[in-house]
Amino acid sequence: MKSEDLVERLARNLAPVRRLPSPGALMARWLLVTLPVLAAVTLMMKLRPDLAVLLVQPRFMLTEGLAAATMLSSAYAAFCAGRPDQPVWKLFMPMAGFLLWLTELGRQCFVLSVQTDGAALVLHADWQCVPAIAMTALVPAAAMVWLLRRSAKFRPTHSCLCGTLAAAAAAEFVLPLFHAADTMMTVLVWQMGSVALFTLLGALTARLGLNTLG
Amino acid sequence: MAAAQAGDQRAYAALLAAALPWLRRRARGRWPAASAADIEDMVQETLLALHQSRHLYDPASPLQPFLFGILKLRGAEIRRRRHRHAGRETALEDMPADTGALMTQGTQEQDVEQAGLRKALASLGARDRQVLGLLKIRQLSLKEAMVETGMSVAALKVASFRAVQRLKQALKGGTDEE
Repeated sequence: MKSEDLVERLARNLAPVRRLPSPGALMARWLLVTLPVLAAVTLMMKLRPDLAVLLVQPRFMLTEGLAAATMLSSAYAAFCAGRPDQPVWKLFMPMAGFLLWLTELGRQCFVLSVQTDGAALVLHADWQCVPAIAMTALVPAAAMVWLLRRSAKFRPTHSCLCGTLAAAAAAEFVLPLFHAADTMMTVLVWQMGSVALFTLLGALTARLGLNTLG
Repeated sequence: MAAAQAGDQRAYAALLAAALPWLRRRARGRWPAASAADIEDMVQETLLALHQSRHLYDPASPLQPFLFGILKLRGAEIRRRRHRHAGRETALEDMPADTGALMTQGTQEQDVEQAGLRKALASLGARDRQVLGLLKIRQLSLKEAMVETGMSVAALKVASFRAVQRLKQALKGGTDEE
């Protein structure tokens, strides 16, 4: 088909469309769903008794800050990735926050293992926390897929990856508020492990979900 | 573009017509080694993608970066696809038309011949088909065929001869209605 004919056909089949909100507005909607769920699960699971002490520790605040930064930048990048006119730096912005967060967690794990002289390698199987962790990640992930269904027209894999990283980071942001992580293995398995698991699962399945919903 | 989002067909047609030479020029500038057909494919894919994602455009921003962004993404996709397929493709001009490499399966020629024979057989009359089936396919003797058909040996010989003649005619593409 000649391009001129295609132009004519496209113009003939034109229907009015509802304009999609900006990435910032979509992120605000996602936070509107995500934050109440995170708050509800945190309160349901009961705050850690030593939280007041932790909140004044720079180490704790730094990890939480990096988790929040990863969550926000990933969500924004997910909504930007589907648009063709967004600069590349916005799409890779969450990677910087995520790497810093990973580095900080690694440093803390190292310090813990040295301080406890090997006891940090013991893994506490806190299975009762799994439903709460799943809930805090799945609800933001579902909201993300719903909001991405019309916006992820380009770079869908990047959108899905950033979207699930945002959901996993959201879960990780609230996890230390109700769940103690005393050993290195607990931090690695329950905290970073859940982030990696949810991000990978989300990236694998979200494209399917987007294709069905879009 | 804002008018196109509202459903204005004339504004949209004018926009696309104006975008066409611009897109060709930008595509040629970005991929100078691409063939003319590839450039046209990229332009058409860009137009289709623009049509499907026109709800993503924000009228407050300039349209050119939006359009060029689509061209970059779709163009790179087409280049990747071409590159991937190039390793698995062979130019047909380089090989004789009767080469075995063009066959999709080993029994292809045999299958074609069998199909032709079946078609020719089907075009024959019921008596011819019966005689050929008994004497040529099942390879019964004249006496055995006599028992099955009730015809005499002489009649079977004549019928068999005529059936073979008609079959030859049918295989050549005509029918013998004598």
